[in-house]
Amino acid sequence: MSVRVRINGKDHVLDVDPEMPILWAIRDVLGLTGTKYGCGQALCGACVVHLDGEAVRSCVTPIRRAEGKSITTIEGLSADGSHPLQRAWVELGVPQCGFCQSGQIMTAAALLAKKPKPSVAEIDQSLAGNLCRCGTYLRIRAAVQKAAGGE
Amino acid sequence: MTTIGTRTLRWLGTALVVGLGCRGPIGAPPPAQVSPPSAGSELRAPSDFASITDAKERSAALFAEASRVMLHPRCKNCHPAGDSPLQGDRGLVHDPPVVRGADDKGVPGLECTSCHQDQNVELARVPGAPGWHLAPRAMAWDGRTQRALCEQLKDPSRNGGKSLAEIVEHSTHDRLVGWGWTPGHGREPAPGSQAAFGALMDAWVKDGAVCPPEEVRR
Amino acid sequence: MSATPPREPAKKKVVLVRRAFLAGLGLAAAGLAIAFEIAFEREARPDDGPKKPAPTDVNAKSAAAAAGEGLRPNLFVHVSPDDVVSIVCARSEMGQGVRSSLPVLIADELGADMAHVKVVQADGSVAFGDQNTDGSHSVRGFYDELRRVGAVARMMLVSAAARRWSVPESTCDAREGAVYHEPTGRHFRFGDLANDAAKLPLPDPKAIVLRPASRLKHVGKELPLLDGPDLVTGRALFGADVRLPGMLTAVVARPPVPGGRATSHDPRKALAVPGVKRVVEIAPAKRPFGFRPLGGIAVVAESTWAALRGRAALEVSWDPGDNRGYDSSAYRDKLVRSLRSPGRIWRNKGDVDGTLGGSKRRIEATYYVPHLAHAPMEPPCAVAKVDGKRCEIWASTQNPQSAQKEVAAALRLDPNDVTVHVTFLGGGFGRKSKPDYVVEAAILARELQAPVRVQWTREDDVQHDYYHSVSAQELVAGIGEDGKVVAWRHRTAFPPIGSTFSDATTAGIGEMQQGVLDVPLAIPNVRAESVDARAHTRIGWLRSVANIYHAFAIQSFIDEIAHALGEDPLAMRIHLLGPPRIVTTAELGVEKLPNYGQSLEEHPIDTARHRAVLERVAEMSSWRDRKKNGRALGIAVHRSFLAYVAVVVSAVRRPDGRIHADEAWICADAGTIVNLERVRSQLEGAVIFGLSHALYGEVTMKNGAVEQSNFRDLRLMRIKEAPRAIHVEVVKSSAPPAGVGEPGVPPVAPALANAVFALTGTRVRDLPLVRSLAV
Repeated sequence: MSVRVRINGKDHVLDVDPEMPILWAIRDVLGLTGTKYGCGQALCGACVVHLDGEAVRSCVTPIRRAEGKSITTIEGLSADGSHPLQRAWVELGVPQCGFCQSGQIMTAAALLAKKPKPSVAEIDQSLAGNLCRCGTYLRIRAAVQKAAGGE
Repeated sequence: MTTIGTRTLRWLGTALVVGLGCRGPIGAPPPAQVSPPSAGSELRAPSDFASITDAKERSAALFAEASRVMLHPRCKNCHPAGDSPLQGDRGLVHDPPVVRGADDKGVPGLECTSCHQDQNVELARVPGAPGWHLAPRAMAWDGRTQRALCEQLKDPSRNGGKSLAEIVEHSTHDRLVGWGWTPGHGREPAPGSQAAFGALMDAWVKDGAVCPPEEVRR
Repeated sequence: MSATPPREPAKKKVVLVRRAFLAGLGLAAAGLAIAFEIAFEREARPDDGPKKPAPTDVNAKSAAAAAGEGLRPNLFVHVSPDDVVSIVCARSEMGQGVRSSLPVLIADELGADMAHVKVVQADGSVAFGDQNTDGSHSVRGFYDELRRVGAVARMMLVSAAARRWSVPESTCDAREGAVYHEPTGRHFRFGDLANDAAKLPLPDPKAIVLRPASRLKHVGKELPLLDGPDLVTGRALFGADVRLPGMLTAVVARPPVPGGRATSHDPRKALAVPGVKRVVEIAPAKRPFGFRPLGGIAVVAESTWAALRGRAALEVSWDPGDNRGYDSSAYRDKLVRSLRSPGRIWRNKGDVDGTLGGSKRRIEATYYVPHLAHAPMEPPCAVAKVDGKRCEIWASTQNPQSAQKEVAAALRLDPNDVTVHVTFLGGGFGRKSKPDYVVEAAILARELQAPVRVQWTREDDVQHDYYHSVSAQELVAGIGEDGKVVAWRHRTAFPPIGSTFSDATTAGIGEMQQGVLDVPLAIPNVRAESVDARAHTRIGWLRSVANIYHAFAIQSFIDEIAHALGEDPLAMRIHLLGPPRIVTTAELGVEKLPNYGQSLEEHPIDTARHRAVLERVAEMSSWRDRKKNGRALGIAVHRSFLAYVAVVVSAVRRPDGRIHADEAWICADAGTIVNLERVRSQLEGAVIFGLSHALYGEVTMKNGAVEQSNFRDLRLMRIKEAPRAIHVEVVKSSAPPAGVGEPGVPPVAPALANAVFALTGTRVRDLPLVRSLAV
């Protein structure tokens, strides 16, 4: 079965099992490896992408849900790392191992799209589903606030 | 003093009884035979209550039976009193720690539908149904008694403005409600089936949508 | 970090030999394998339609290297004619910032312009010396050597410039990527000099001159995160991101109980899943497991999704094997009971039994820390390709040489014929120095005659870890007539890391040195013992290792003593440290102390440094106001991996009644440091890591199998549970470099437990706290 989906601005026709999670479609079929597998049960957030602008956990979202829709991955968040969140992340040295950070950034981006100036409590609520084993949480909070502080 | 006496309490079975030693109305007919309470996973049918001749009593008994669905974890987990759904059968708070948000659909970046799909995802054990979201706070069921649940359900200001007919329709056909009986991986379904539940609710309404007395508990 | 024979720090195996020379001699030259450098720069990937897997940049060599142009005086540095300075990082990057630190040493000594520096990740090769990235020894083990590496390149470039100008070398200076002739100000960029420099002889090692520390521009400062831009754009390659033409993916069903095996399996339903190619049995390892795979049934497929579905459809019967009876809850009781009997004496001074017997008062406590899981965000993953007698690996591994060795053993190859490329690691914490998952990939690649990626699921990672060992400890203190501690007995019981390699039941000196033998105690009578314990699961090492449980017990116990005697916990610690001094093995009452592989001369136990971080963290946290405004502070100090770290944690009760660590302070003395910014991030991270374990960390076994399976039941700290502030201070020091990655962890759990006691009056001696309190 074919699934038609726009990914990072480009149209694709994917000939895959419609139940295949978006995560494996983008990683294995399209080679977009910026989105990560961390748990496979929507518990850790490493796999977050945007589906028509909303954050979804790609490890459990079947590709058929994206039929006719638009997916944005970390690779497509900006052309060159210039999204305010990406810039803030680099300026504040947020990542340690970096594995969780695609998911953190994509979730934060979805938050800022709806709440441009979130409070710390709101940041914590929206990112509560994103695990970081290296312990970068405090810098994540600061970077989201910095990005929200706006240029 | 309530109007339902010890006879009716016995009819409803030991699982439902908190005997308070109420005496029944003087001169009432001898207890009729209602089939005994079902095993946990079964739901009695309206016909099982036909022997209760008084419509009001019958209505209350029907609701009490239907409430076994509504107060089952599969249903009340998403009708929490607080800000987070519950998980499992012991009322544990949902993990990851999600909150209802302004419109009961989660917060930006962590909406209910960011994880929950329109159907169960088996390998990942994530339950799903169309329109997955939390019941509003006004519809909190967790911790409610049968009577409180009933009154809340009937109150248009707390039930989303639904008429009794709409409640029956919702109970019988809503797909998110229906999920309670096909919950997927390792989760115990609500008793009976959606059709059986709908039938009970329909019969309850037809008999006057009477609420059980406070003393009657599961 | 390993408790098997303490490792000497990486030494002197860096050979100043030209690459061309090595190439001319062939691979076997002097027993050195040539390192193939791999560039980790990905071009921005245009998203241009469904792709077939293409060879990734992992195979690309930098253009200049391939052409043999430019200056390459050793395996670590290359200066290209187009002015790119490539510096090799031979240690694995797992978030500790090694790629942002070690290359800086070289670059600074060289005088490079950081904007022109490219860091290249090394393959596994003994030519680089030790590459086992654990034990917090990247900087301390390589500091001097890498500066020499940079100095050699600098000297040759300066020499080349001086010749061109016909001026004395002493009038030239290398800085900011160029060599300057000071009197005239003229300069040549390094790139311009590279080919000329390449023709010069290597300097005599005795003539290598290092810059004075004041002329190191970046070392010791807060530096930008080198890989930041790649990490935030998804360009950085981790193990699972490597893609090769024709690559298959395998997901393995492993024995639920370590040591178990599949007695039968039915592959038909798995094979019926579209995309599944083969179902292959991997032979199980027998105890002691070492790094050999646990074995199991592998489902190999064209895609990860097919492999996952295939494994779910697999039907397997397991014989659980010898560990079938392991019940961690019952084992706890057994371990605690075992403390009643005397153990092997490791530390002995004075007459503990006599003094305890005659003490006016005795304080005693038993502490328990359960098995812990590493749970790095990236589950283990490796890719292997086997061509005849050669094997090529791509893996997120902390120890590429161990991977080479184990793969060679498993496939009966020459280790020199096993190439291991190291990707970014999505966390390690010690899990990824065990290459069992790499061996799985190699075995399957050979069997399938195709490149195979073995992807561990999170369930696999949680259930087939090399667990941090479970431990029970008893501490007894005797209080003398003068109200002071006169006797101290410490008994520790834990299945040792040696059990994984030799079925050992006796603690190794490597573990005993971690918070038992090396703790300064101004107490006249001290004895420390270990009690043998048998392992029933795979035991490994986890960030800071035995320090975790030893520091928890000792730093909790000191608080208990303080409380019993009505003393301030800070004052009690200062008192027990004794006067500022260097503590000798004689004073400790031990025969020998591995001291993390470095000499006690260079890295003494210096109680002035303990005291300094302790007093500083007390100041930072306003310790004197420690119980105020509904919060309470707890303090702890611990030396590990040669660094001194003190932590204060603030505990409060949230409106819902749960205990929460809302603030923390950490002061660390790690001697000379390279990248202050990464050191700070490691300390922040260590606080969260330590709090997470103290609050929720636990893995339990029943009937031999691990009960937890994913983050639902293996609970980790989330952002909403993280403190609102962590205050970090790094002591400015010119002492020799000490460890940084691990030392922040051990004092955190006891500081929290002490804060919880101060807040609630409840003393928790069993971790995790969630078992006793609402947290």
